[in-house]
Amino acid sequence: MISPDNSTGKEMKPDMDRKQADQITEALEYKRLNFWAEIWRDFKKNKGAMIGLFTFIVIIAITILSEFLFDYDTQVIATSTADMLQSPSGGHLFGTDQYGRDILIRVLYGARYSLLIGICSVFVSVLVGSTLGIIAGYFGGLMETIIMRTMDVFSPIPSILLAVCLTTAFGQGLGVLMFSIGLVSVPSFAQVARASVLTIRDQEFIEAARASGAREYQIILSHVLPNALSPILVQSTLRVAVAIVTASALSFLGLGVPPPMPEWGGMLSDGRSFIRDYSYMTLFPGLAIMVTVLSINMVGDGLRDAMDPRLKR
Amino acid sequence: MSETKKILKIEDLTVHYDTENGIVRAVNGINITLDHKEALGLVGETGAGKTTTALSMLRLIPDPPGRIVSGSIEIDGLDLMSKTESELEKIRGKDVAMIFQDPMTALNPVFPVGEQIAESIRIHEHVSYQEAMERANEMLEIVGIHRERAKDYPHQLSGGMKQRVVIAIALACHAKLLIADEPTTALDVTIQAQVLELIKEYRERYHTSLLMITHDLGIVAETCDRVAVMYAGNIVEQGTLRDVFNHTLHPYTEGLFASLPNINDRAARLNSIPGTVPDPTKIPDGCVFAPRCSYAADNCIKSPQRDNWVSESHMVRCSRYEEPSFKIIRGNAT
Amino acid sequence: MFRYIIRRIVLLIPILVAVSFIVYFIVDLAPGDVVDTTFGAELSVEEQEELRESMGLNDPVVVRYARYMLGLLRGDLGISVSTQKPVFEMYMQRLPATLQLSFWGIFVAMLIAIPFGIIAARRQNSWVDTGSMVFGLVGMSIPNFWLGLMLIILFAQQLRLLPSYGNDTWSSIILPAITVGTTQAALLIRTTRSSMLEVIRQDYLRTARAKGVNERRVIYHHALRNALIPIITAAGTQFSVALGGSVVTESVFAWPGIGRLTIDSIYARDEITVVGCIVLTSILSSVVILAIDILYAFVDPRIRARYSK
Repeated sequence: MISPDNSTGKEMKPDMDRKQADQITEALEYKRLNFWAEIWRDFKKNKGAMIGLFTFIVIIAITILSEFLFDYDTQVIATSTADMLQSPSGGHLFGTDQYGRDILIRVLYGARYSLLIGICSVFVSVLVGSTLGIIAGYFGGLMETIIMRTMDVFSPIPSILLAVCLTTAFGQGLGVLMFSIGLVSVPSFAQVARASVLTIRDQEFIEAARASGAREYQIILSHVLPNALSPILVQSTLRVAVAIVTASALSFLGLGVPPPMPEWGGMLSDGRSFIRDYSYMTLFPGLAIMVTVLSINMVGDGLRDAMDPRLKR
Repeated sequence: MSETKKILKIEDLTVHYDTENGIVRAVNGINITLDHKEALGLVGETGAGKTTTALSMLRLIPDPPGRIVSGSIEIDGLDLMSKTESELEKIRGKDVAMIFQDPMTALNPVFPVGEQIAESIRIHEHVSYQEAMERANEMLEIVGIHRERAKDYPHQLSGGMKQRVVIAIALACHAKLLIADEPTTALDVTIQAQVLELIKEYRERYHTSLLMITHDLGIVAETCDRVAVMYAGNIVEQGTLRDVFNHTLHPYTEGLFASLPNINDRAARLNSIPGTVPDPTKIPDGCVFAPRCSYAADNCIKSPQRDNWVSESHMVRCSRYEEPSFKIIRGNAT
Repeated sequence: MFRYIIRRIVLLIPILVAVSFIVYFIVDLAPGDVVDTTFGAELSVEEQEELRESMGLNDPVVVRYARYMLGLLRGDLGISVSTQKPVFEMYMQRLPATLQLSFWGIFVAMLIAIPFGIIAARRQNSWVDTGSMVFGLVGMSIPNFWLGLMLIILFAQQLRLLPSYGNDTWSSIILPAITVGTTQAALLIRTTRSSMLEVIRQDYLRTARAKGVNERRVIYHHALRNALIPIITAAGTQFSVALGGSVVTESVFAWPGIGRLTIDSIYARDEITVVGCIVLTSILSSVVILAIDILYAFVDPRIRARYSK
């Protein structure tokens, strides 16, 4: 084959010079801003994802509104023997429970527990897990081994059991739940973060950034982090959904949010004793959990599709 | 040309892909013929439509989004457009075989290479498993791989060896027509030479016809008897090596030759054809090369181009050749 | 390869030791102990203290843990406070019921999910595809204890077709298995579909077609083998998750398995049984994951090569 002769034209310098490095870094900044705009645009196109997002926003709105609409003491937890165990009707759209409390109000009010636990626990585990994962992936060596081995120790324990363990030790309550469920998710975020750091760490643009004088922490913040962000974001939505289900499972077992707080899982546990004749009591809280989790999963799917590089041109 | 049955006859083939961004006109009314034992080089840049042409010959265009809009394809007298899928399965690998471009991804990672060769034999001929494996081993030796490696997996072989396995698979049933889609592009220069040599030897022994797809004029010169130049889905020039290399007609072909660096003049600038390949969703009605052509006239941009047969063997798709005295300048560098 | 397996098992041991320590330590943090719960009402405070001393309950946690570990190695995980039976024996007695449930759950899940996942990948945007995606999404969002309750309402109460609790008849397993299997099927169908989609784009399928391989063989022989790894991973993970989730499912259906044992001992504050159950379940979970890893080597020769090095 006739190959082009390299002696014609300019000679290529072996190392990148400062100017080229700066240009690359600048181009990357521009690319990053458009990155998120493009993701949002692709996300918008996904009908399912938008429905999920809308539903989730409605649920958040309900949570906020219920703080002002319902009085906790008189409407949410007050008992009323006269209204006991009434099937769904005009006065009580979802019926009443064994203490005469309106189930619709309790379901609406109860959204806050699931959302709070879901979002807060994942928030914490993202922070802790991702930091550990990024450190492990970026610096490697002994630190990586220590961090990843520690994560390995927690993986064989099925997550519900670990959460159960922790609640036995620390008792019930929102705080304990958030901590336990958060802890349980840390290894998965560490793994995801570490994996994406590993794919970027050795690429040339990191070299370019170093050549233009960036310090290690700057490199991590402005280059490694945004790239790791996509898988972390997708994983977060998944874990929020898992957290909500786990929290309600624990409450169902009596180990989570204690009564009389109207957590959905706990309401299911109540309803269970009356399942024979008052099955509506188990229908609505469970439906609420399902709708919430479904909307989050739809958003998660939409995010994943929007961020999938293979689907992009 | 004599009227003996040709091994390959493509008439007026047009292939489109329906995509989100519009209809990609990958191949636009091309004609190709190939005689028995002949080798035709199909030259063009990436995106010219060469691979689409090759896949059409096996009716392997993914449908959707691709579709053969019009045209006929005849291989050794068999009309491919009228065949059912199961009939086509009998033809593929047996009458016509294909060597793909990227050896790293062309082999199935979970099966041993010997088995992948033998599969081809078992499909088309009624032989026992042992006999098929034996013939697979023989094929390996023909392509220069020790038969012991038949039980190895693709990841255990080097790039060059993988490509030779791909060739062994293609040739396992001794097809009459071999289509090679850039078989050496992904390989080192030294391995390239070996692979081309292998194909040449095989052809001499088994008298196989060859359609060699490449962007490299040097390979064409080495392995082919005739050459067709493709640009944006059109075959703009077709003829014998001599016709096209020494009596170049089409401005695009001229541009291709001109962009080859002159090894004797190291200080000269590299020539490139100004402009870029057109967007395949926006193919103009007139000559597709006109925007970049230094010989373009009004007629070129407006009217659709027809094939002009300048001699019995030499064709050019350029309306300027309808003028009796039109000639291009064909030389090297500036 | 054999050496790889041995090495993995050996590496597993320190991890499991650490797991048992963590579980022991955490549960130990809970207020109250065996003496309180069993004899709290009967004995006076001094008698309780004496009992504690004699049982060694006042020793530092590390010492007590070491004692526990030594017992573990002998297969002795202590005596349950509530039933006075050896923890290990109780666990082993209940294990078959849970395994039976887990097996049927994942088996039916795979039976449904894998074929539909493959068809969904082949015929994109068909009703099979859309249906599978919807089922996948909804199925993974349903809390399975709620699904269990709904199934009980429908099949056990309204229709009176199936039993709602216990493991007394052959039909007892149906509702629990459907409950366990639905979420698994949903996740498997998604994994199968996306894995197949990935593989379907690959060049080596084009090579197979160019050889004249018929389409069925291209999908079920050439493509499926390559798509299996993520599917096996998902199935294995789901099995492990189900082991943990047995706490909930067995609660709903009063199924006599290890999940029920775990939760009952939590209610009874029977710490020693709780620790034993969680440790044993973790061991079981690790074994399943190891088995999956080994399975990979049989499916993918590249992994087999890596293991042999």
